[in-house]
Amino acid sequence: MNRFIEKYINGFLAIVLLVFYLVLSWVLHRTGYEHPESVFIAEKIKILFDSNENNLVTLGTTFPTIVFLASVIFTPFGYLFAPILASIAFTVMLFYTLLKDFKETSKLPDFVYIPLVSLLFFLHPGLIYAAISGRGVAAILIFFYYLFRSLFRYYRTQTTFYLSMASIYLTCLVFCDFNFIWLLLAFFPFIVLVSLEGLKINKEQAPVAQYFESINNTSQRRKLTNRAVAIYIILFLLPLGALLLFGYLNATHAGTSTYFLYSQYANWHVLGNHPFGEVVGNLAKGSNSAFQSQILFQFYVFFLTPLLFLTFFYFRGKLYELFTLIAPFILIAILIINCQFYFLIEYYLIFLVLALVGLSFYAAKKFTKKATWFIFFIFGLLNVFTGIYYFKKSDDPDERKFFGIIRDYKYWLKVKGNTEDFDVAQYIASIADINNKVLVDDAAAFQIVAHLKSLEGIELPINKSFGTIVENPMSGVKYMCVAKFENRLKTFTVLNSYNLGIMEAKGQFVTEMVYQTDNWAVYRLYPLEE
Amino acid sequence: MAQCVLHKMAAENSFSNEKLEAVLNIAEIYSYAPIKAALNFGFLVRLDYIIFLEKHNETVVDVRTEELDEIYINQCDISHMNAFLYLPLRKLDTGELLVAAADPFDEKLLTSLVIKFKCKIKLVAASDLDITWLGHKLRGGFFVKEAVFSLMKTHPESSALITFTDAQLYFIFGSIALIFIFIIIFFKPTFIAINLLSSLFFLFSILFKLYLALTGSKSELHSVVSKSEIKGVNELTLPVYTILLPVYKEDKLIRKLIWNLRSLDYPKAKLDVKLLIEEDDDKTLNAVRNLDFPANFEVIVVPFHMPKTKPKACNYGLYFSRGEYLAIYDAEDVPDSDQLKKVVCQFRKLPEEFVVLQGALNYFNKNENLLTRMFTLEYSYWFDYMLSGLETLDVPIPLGGTSNHFKLAKLIELGAWDPFNVTEDADLGLRVFDSGLKVGVVNSTTLEEANNEFFNWIRQRSRWIKGYMQTYLVHMRNPARLIRQVGWRGFFGFNFFIGGTSFTFLLYPILLAFFAIYMIFKFAFIRSIFPDWVLYISIFNFVAGNVLMIYVNMLAVFKRRYYELILFAILNPIYWLMHSRAAYMGLWQLITKPFYWEKTNHGLSKLSSTSAVVTPE
Repeated sequence: MNRFIEKYINGFLAIVLLVFYLVLSWVLHRTGYEHPESVFIAEKIKILFDSNENNLVTLGTTFPTIVFLASVIFTPFGYLFAPILASIAFTVMLFYTLLKDFKETSKLPDFVYIPLVSLLFFLHPGLIYAAISGRGVAAILIFFYYLFRSLFRYYRTQTTFYLSMASIYLTCLVFCDFNFIWLLLAFFPFIVLVSLEGLKINKEQAPVAQYFESINNTSQRRKLTNRAVAIYIILFLLPLGALLLFGYLNATHAGTSTYFLYSQYANWHVLGNHPFGEVVGNLAKGSNSAFQSQILFQFYVFFLTPLLFLTFFYFRGKLYELFTLIAPFILIAILIINCQFYFLIEYYLIFLVLALVGLSFYAAKKFTKKATWFIFFIFGLLNVFTGIYYFKKSDDPDERKFFGIIRDYKYWLKVKGNTEDFDVAQYIASIADINNKVLVDDAAAFQIVAHLKSLEGIELPINKSFGTIVENPMSGVKYMCVAKFENRLKTFTVLNSYNLGIMEAKGQFVTEMVYQTDNWAVYRLYPLEE
Repeated sequence: MAQCVLHKMAAENSFSNEKLEAVLNIAEIYSYAPIKAALNFGFLVRLDYIIFLEKHNETVVDVRTEELDEIYINQCDISHMNAFLYLPLRKLDTGELLVAAADPFDEKLLTSLVIKFKCKIKLVAASDLDITWLGHKLRGGFFVKEAVFSLMKTHPESSALITFTDAQLYFIFGSIALIFIFIIIFFKPTFIAINLLSSLFFLFSILFKLYLALTGSKSELHSVVSKSEIKGVNELTLPVYTILLPVYKEDKLIRKLIWNLRSLDYPKAKLDVKLLIEEDDDKTLNAVRNLDFPANFEVIVVPFHMPKTKPKACNYGLYFSRGEYLAIYDAEDVPDSDQLKKVVCQFRKLPEEFVVLQGALNYFNKNENLLTRMFTLEYSYWFDYMLSGLETLDVPIPLGGTSNHFKLAKLIELGAWDPFNVTEDADLGLRVFDSGLKVGVVNSTTLEEANNEFFNWIRQRSRWIKGYMQTYLVHMRNPARLIRQVGWRGFFGFNFFIGGTSFTFLLYPILLAFFAIYMIFKFAFIRSIFPDWVLYISIFNFVAGNVLMIYVNMLAVFKRRYYELILFAILNPIYWLMHSRAAYMGLWQLITKPFYWEKTNHGLSKLSSTSAVVTPE
């Protein structure tokens, strides 16, 4: 019986977690919570399947590609639910893999790691958010985990297999979040150290003396360079090659090689990233942004991820493995210089995953079983509390909104709330048909498009006639959905209140507002003669 | 106890008693004349021996110029003549039968000949090599015919004597006709379909190779035979090991060869090494004759018979092989010194169904020029990852040209090599699989000489690709039967690995040309033939395919720690173009002269194999 439980406990827990996430996501959906990134992906899937034009551009340029393609798999469950299911699947997969790896590599007793991992996945708000927000966070976490796991396995076995697997996972990671390409620089210290490690001579001497000898010997130095370059190439050729190819395909089919990075039609982050200026201008009421500067960020990460202390403790004396753990900190330092936007939760959660991957590898016997259980559990619990603290202090409105709903369980029981975008979509659906077409620019109105029942009677930028219609709306549509001045995304779309005035001035038509919400207005167009 | 020349030499202190004892022991084991054991197991220098004979007034006759009465030779068995090194020449006026022998003092031989011919015998000294040459030339006819036609007689369906069967010709021409008809009727859709299928096939075959490489790279984790196991081997329990060394005009390599054989860690007496020399190859024969140190191999002369191919020579050599196991090496090969012991240990550990083990091949002259670097990249990935990957996935393994280690009895059962197939090794690997037996991979390396000259490389490669095409055609004569024998996975692997390899090389320049035209000229014509989505997929497949291929090449040299070669993998697309050139040459030869063996010149490298560090893994 015990053996039976031991064998199936991981699978059983994974199923329980899956059900838990499904229920939570249903609750969240019922309250009207939708993350814009999730809806963005859902809208792209809708366009892919419901539109007959330029499907290739949608399929081939939507970024992050892995998140998009993973969501496509879950399309049978509904466009809006597909990204959420994808992120749940990724998170449950991560949970299961962690349990399995702890069992196989850490040699810790089941009763130590199972409570720790379960505690985190069931109660850490960050991981719950990753699972049920429908964002690409879960995909980032799992590939981040696989990447570092492969690197640690490479250290153990020194086989090319794990290095090439690391390269494949790195490619996936980059296609989940382009910023991870900067690991190219962040991995530099560890790659040099790994190369040195492989070339050390006189292994009886102290490490410093070995390094001294390796570096001061011409032939060893040449070998060191060759080995370091070789590891670099093996690790980065695939992600760089994939990006090159993806860029080339973008250039061929969308006009520019960076379309997937900078087009609001291809990448939600173009719309969703909050520039620092905006955050400082009191985007929300948190204070996390105050820690998003060099050094402070790293300290804050340690504060938010107490498990990292435990991991670093276990890694004492393992120099290049330590440098591997430090690589993500270097990555963040680079990103702070390179990206002037507010960092969302994924850049914090990767450190939790890092701590877990480290523990799963080196959490060997250091204390008695009971003490280990106690220490692990306490650190895990602390992590849950710091996770809650993070959300309380988040400057991202969506993260705060999510936390607000999760925290306030009484709110769950209330009647299902509709979003503003849902209401607009309902209205547009009620007026649009083949003879009464509505012009919608999904650059900003992607959440409206995602809620439409069908794309019949909707003119979108994906349609070849869109440019002509924008120039001369009367030639193709009777209605127009326009972003009002108050809409945060108004600058990303041609159909905003400012442009509407210009279009009216130069076109032969007048408009009448037939519907409006806080951010959106629907206009009916009439020829001037009327 | 019957006396021989060695006793005489020992009596005169020209040959030590310990050596004599060892030689007599070997002669006993192999049923050889003692002189043969002495000359072929590294105890006696031929030139010294001739000097000794001349010192004792023994005239060494040139049997090639001697008058010969074939009536007497025809009464002799080639195996016996070969083992005791004699050749009956003619009856003398005195009534004695004049017999040329390598050892004119061999009493045992004399007695056996008297009994056989029932007359007085006069032994005259002759060069053992000339006796061997003439003996095989005159009496090897049956064996050489067997070597050529045996497989065709016993397993006609496996012989490449017929290149294209009728059904295959109908299929090929039928397909071509069908494509033409479709092009005429549905021009655009047909082009789209061809383009898509080609580029998908290209990508898929490279993805398959990547998958194999990744699967194979896992095998770095396991070592079937450990160093301590090899150290612990009891040499008395080791079986006789035959090594076949087919050569043709490799006179420059003979010294290297002896050096390499000496470095093998295997009991000298149990190494049955056969140097297979073609009848018309006096160069190599004379190189052996003129050696000024003892040779540690036996010369077997392969009588002339078409086709003049390596498999025919090997098949012929089989009739004289005495080992329990058999390995094939090229003359310039430098195997890991513990390779044979490792193979024996591995065979002992593996299930009975494993009848062949393939060693990894790599190059000692890898840094000689660009071509050798590219070749090293390719071989590293092929032997270190691909074969292990195929083994792990239980997909038919095409054997490499050398360092194949067989269970001799099973090899003969299988019908040995197909002399009409120019990549007989690959074909044999598949036949092993067809028979429900297994090919394994041994984690031991043999260093070879990488082809360092462009046209020589093209010739060699054209033969290999032609051979792959031949092998593909032979085994696809009856696809249903193949599926039954090797299963769907084996069938799929065979198609992508053997068929796919040649086809990809043929396809590559066409895809590259389309890509280049599109990139450089953005031809409206191409856009009009192929809609955007087709171009998208084609470009993706082509670029991704190339990047992955570069990557796979990089992986393998990483394992070998040839870090300095890693960047050369970027030149893989150019290397593939060279393959394509060779593939078209191979295709042309497949149609015009399918059995023609494009000879690869060895010994072109300025680097010595002895400078290569042989480190057993």
